Amino acid sequence: MFRGRAQAMGAVAATALVAATPALSAPRPPGLKPAVDSVEAGLWDLMDKAEREARQKAELNTDAALNAYVRDVICKVATEYCGDVRLYVMDRPFFNATMAPNGYSEVWSGLLLRCEDESELALVLSHEVTHFSENHSIEAHEADKRRRNATMVVAMGIAVVGTVAAAGSANPQSAQSIMDATSSLIDVVYLASISSYFRFSREHETEADIVGLRRMAAAGYSPQAGGTLWRGLIAETTTSDFKRVREQDTRLGIFDSHPLSPLRAEALDAEAAKLPAPTRVAANRHRAAIRPFLAAWLKDDLRRRDFGQTLHTIDRLSKAKEDLGVLNFYRGEALRQRGKAGDLANAALAYQAATEQADAPPAAWRELGEARRRTGDAAGAKAALATYLSRAPEADDAWMVRETLDALSKGD
Amino acid sequence: MRILRPLLAAAAVLALAACETIPKAPAGPYKAGASQVTLGRDWSDVSVLLAGGLKKVKVLSIDGPILNRLYITDGLAVGESLVKSPSKERPTPKLRAGMNSSERMEFVADSIAAMGYQRVETMKPRPAKFGEQQAVRFDITARTEDGLDVQGTALASEAAGKTAFVLFLAPAEHYFQASLPEVEKVMASARPAG
Ligand SMILES: [Zn+2]
Repeated sequence: MFRGRAQAMGAVAATALVAATPALSAPRPPGLKPAVDSVEAGLWDLMDKAEREARQKAELNTDAALNAYVRDVICKVATEYCGDVRLYVMDRPFFNATMAPNGYSEVWSGLLLRCEDESELALVLSHEVTHFSENHSIEAHEADKRRRNATMVVAMGIAVVGTVAAAGSANPQSAQSIMDATSSLIDVVYLASISSYFRFSREHETEADIVGLRRMAAAGYSPQAGGTLWRGLIAETTTSDFKRVREQDTRLGIFDSHPLSPLRAEALDAEAAKLPAPTRVAANRHRAAIRPFLAAWLKDDLRRRDFGQTLHTIDRLSKAKEDLGVLNFYRGEALRQRGKAGDLANAALAYQAATEQADAPPAAWRELGEARRRTGDAAGAKAALATYLSRAPEADDAWMVRETLDALSKGD
Repeated sequence: MRILRPLLAAAAVLALAACETIPKAPAGPYKAGASQVTLGRDWSDVSVLLAGGLKKVKVLSIDGPILNRLYITDGLAVGESLVKSPSKERPTPKLRAGMNSSERMEFVADSIAAMGYQRVETMKPRPAKFGEQQAVRFDITARTEDGLDVQGTALASEAAGKTAFVLFLAPAEHYFQASLPEVEKVMASARPAG
């Protein structure tokens, strides 16, 4: 699987892995179906079940154009498996992608938001395709059935804990697990079992990185994207509001099969140097595909309440000098919500910058007015709020803004 | 109904499991600290299951926490939350100093998201009263992670640095409308701290 460190924070506690030695075998043939009663068939059944559940999820993004874009990139890097893969884009603000042996594949919005161009997305998808083509799930399964059983017990354990907690414990700690359980009892099991099946050995990850890089380069994408993407993710992690996330690299490196380390970026750079120059140049295709979702995904990202990481992501997205109305508005939102010393003044500047762009949402004027009011600029506040009302006369919060304007006019 | 059925089963498990330790909240006055409402019918006080140990947050239910939940808070101070944070790295929304009505709505929406609901949106803010205090009343839509549509309505009011909330959430299918008349009465009866 392919996921960033911050995402691992929320996931099931890492289990120490016994590194399996992968036996390099021939890539799977397209259109593969496992033999009835085989070990693989068992794995496929589980994945089919997880896939049925995925189709019901509230986070499923069914936008045709977005799905077509991501699917197109999969088919470019894996022409031979294009017919085997079923893609589900999930609106989840974390960096994650998976591809199960039955072809069930998830790509999360937090990943799409953080890929700077199509090549970076192609890199991630090629990595996943390599796990898929090299049968890593099956190999991992056969290499260590004991570990597999142990992980299933962990997954089942969560279901059991949920039920036990539901039995009416007065302990507030378990009340939290109830709260999680009542909202998504099934989902905890779903996520746990999914993540256990995508826990590959370090050897499998290295193979997926290198073979994946060759695969995307052969499809004409820029192989430099590997090192760029990893370094971007590492840089983002260092901006986290949380010490544990900032220091996760060294701490998780021992246990996690996916260390987000500079070494990994260097290995990708070294391999990229041997690969041909890209023939596909479509810098804006990725941004064009995600543009309709920028606002919603940034709002989701803010709900993680790791403002440092969100601000870093906005900075990266701003480098292309596109969508600056939306991006500056959400920069303002992040600063306003963080509320540290100086943040409100900087939020006002960000909202101001947003309002100078054609794609500024009307709310940018409302928030600019409110930030100016709070920083003592009554005249500036009135101008911005009046602009908000003229741009969004039908807004359902117009009465609230009028109240603020009235109060400002009375000099409150 | 495809989605609602397993949830009903889960709710039944909770209801069964809960019956020995969940206190009743009988019809009549009900207090969350200094905030007070009048209940028009018997509810169950599921705070022990859902408030995460936050002393100023009370949660009531009729048919189980998935099918209807009514949050009633004492006046929350700056830095306090509606939802208990599970860990340092997963903070839940905290009240900030000097919030306006639209930020109180945002606080409620983000808190509902922190409870595990998806696609949380607020709408139709309107002026209201929380006792004698100015308040904002607004509606909510969301979905459970399993794709069930949820509706909500909330009342928020701030005075002297303390913010009190009444928040109701229920599946859009049947349960929200079924309890709305009772919830309207509860909101109309709300009296803030002090
Ligand atoms: Zn991987």
